[in-house]
Amino acid sequence: MSADTILRTDGLTCDFGALRAVNHVSLDVKGGTLHSVIGPNGSGKTTLFNLICGEVRPSAGRVYFEGREVTGRAPHDLPHLGLARCFQRTNVFPKLSVYENVWAAVFARRTPGVLGCVRRAGEFSDVDADARRVLADVGLAARSEARAETLSHGQQRALEVAVALASSPRLLLLDEPTQGLAPEATVQMTKLVQSLVGRYTILLIEHKMRIVMSISDRISVMAFGEVIAEGTPDEVRDNRDVQRAYLGARR
Amino acid sequence: MRRVALIRFVLLVAAIVVLPFCVRPVVASEICIFAIAAMALNLIFGYTGMLSFGQATFFGLAAYTAGLMMIHWHAPLLAVLAAGTLVGGVAAALIGYVCIQRVGTYFIMLTFGFNQMLYFIAYKWTAVTGGDDGLPGIPRPPFAVGPLSISLDSSLRYYGFVAVSFLLAFYAMKRIVDSPLGVIFRAIRENPGRAAAVGYDVKRYKWLAFTIAGAFTGGAGVLYSMMFGIVPLESISWIISGDIVFMVLIGGIGNLYGPLLGAAAFKWLSEAISVVWERWPLILGVALVLVVLFLRGGLVEAFTRVRDIVAGGGPRPEPDEPVSVPDAAESQARP
Ligand SMILES: Nc1ncnc2c1ncn2[C@@H]1O[C@H](COP(=O)(O)OP(=O)(O)O)[C@@H](O)[C@H]1O
Ligand SMILES: [Mg+2]
Repeated sequence: MSADTILRTDGLTCDFGALRAVNHVSLDVKGGTLHSVIGPNGSGKTTLFNLICGEVRPSAGRVYFEGREVTGRAPHDLPHLGLARCFQRTNVFPKLSVYENVWAAVFARRTPGVLGCVRRAGEFSDVDADARRVLADVGLAARSEARAETLSHGQQRALEVAVALASSPRLLLLDEPTQGLAPEATVQMTKLVQSLVGRYTILLIEHKMRIVMSISDRISVMAFGEVIAEGTPDEVRDNRDVQRAYLGARR
Repeated sequence: MRRVALIRFVLLVAAIVVLPFCVRPVVASEICIFAIAAMALNLIFGYTGMLSFGQATFFGLAAYTAGLMMIHWHAPLLAVLAAGTLVGGVAAALIGYVCIQRVGTYFIMLTFGFNQMLYFIAYKWTAVTGGDDGLPGIPRPPFAVGPLSISLDSSLRYYGFVAVSFLLAFYAMKRIVDSPLGVIFRAIRENPGRAAAVGYDVKRYKWLAFTIAGAFTGGAGVLYSMMFGIVPLESISWIISGDIVFMVLIGGIGNLYGPLLGAAAFKWLSEAISVVWERWPLILGVALVLVVLFLRGGLVEAFTRVRDIVAGGGPRPEPDEPVSVPDAAESQARP
């Protein structure tokens, strides 16, 4: 493992009954980069995220984050270690305000013990400042008092990302942030992801090839649970296996 | 926002002051006692999203604890209140630890199962609890702090003590839901999976909510034990558990004022109507069906709807709820 590796998976495997959703996946994500995972629907990308984040237990293999093994850690441990994710299907707190959604995620990282809860939520000015900064970052500041469930789909996707950013992660896992977005909202979300490049190490699942090719440092291509190719965007574009398994299959 | 909260609190105190002149002081006391228990259930049900059908466990355990302490040790009022609150909290911590391992219907059945277990212990262990006959002969100690000692013999005086206890419990509960815990509990109610993904140990916070609620319910049980000089077996039965659920639903879940309204409506109905019509529980049944079908926010929602109609204009958002900003803001977020 090289020194600047932030996340490494080693032979990660996951069986759902007879179905092997993820098969011996070994990834090496370097700090400060944007690393994408692409592949057809059902190729195991989301499951890979679930394995990394402790939502699903691997059948075999290990996960190392910043050199430390985190295989099988509970999902609620990971934000404290510096790893946060957003979900493919928007997964926020519908009846809380946009502000509270982000506030809850910021506060989680600095739980002040039971005594801290003697204070009112509004009295934590540092949490408040961080939450407002994140909301401004994703362009939701004007809607911070709205209930999350009243947002448009595009805004909910932005909130989904905001909740992950609120953990101040050192590695950000984004699962198809542009999923289901209209064209102009896709442009908006792509800009948002681009604005995060360099500030965060990002592991991105994305379907839209044009976006992936333009913003990724490295790309891993999955098919049927396996990584069939890995490299820079150019290398992946020229790879015959990829063209057959992924691009070809969609034409 | 702060001023609205203050006005509300003043109105609450005013309502508590006039209550014993609207209904018999004994009924007024019962309303406040059950309002505390309903407030506690509201914390775990309305705020955290777990419906407990076993709150009588903590109510009854604390009532028996208090009764036994007063009968056998002549324990003073505040010591009994503290002990009962502690017993409610500890029992809820032990039982809750098991219950929160499951969610949904299984959680409800676990709380119910523990309630039944303790009911049968109380029923069979007659040497200690008096079984079916209840635990009689409970004195009502004076309120004593240092040299100060106030007799609580009249039902109006006792109401005074209960009312102050209620207001203190209300304030404590308000501070809990206004604290970070309030946000965390509601986040868990809304989406436990995401609450975990942002870093909260969901089970631990559910356990905390359950334990806090048990302590409040225990306090209510102690106040109840001194009402009639007897702890009836009913105080630990599922009927009380059901009544508490009922009060929360009728009053309006997830709102601080709902439980008081629910308890008042419930006890007032049972007092006023049961004398003229012994089948009054039928009305409660009808009310529950109506609330579930048409008025999920209970009496609190009914109140705000009526207020909006009286004030004219369209419905206004509840001040507690996040206000929706008009969609003009949306264009700002787009290029
Ligand atoms: N919890 C689960 N139980 C059973 N099968 C699952 C589960 N999650 C995913 N799968 C299956 O695993 C395969 C990979 O799914 P997924 O990881 O969601 O793919 P992708 O994100 O690449 O579209 C699919 O065939 C899916 O049906
Ligand atoms: Mg997926």
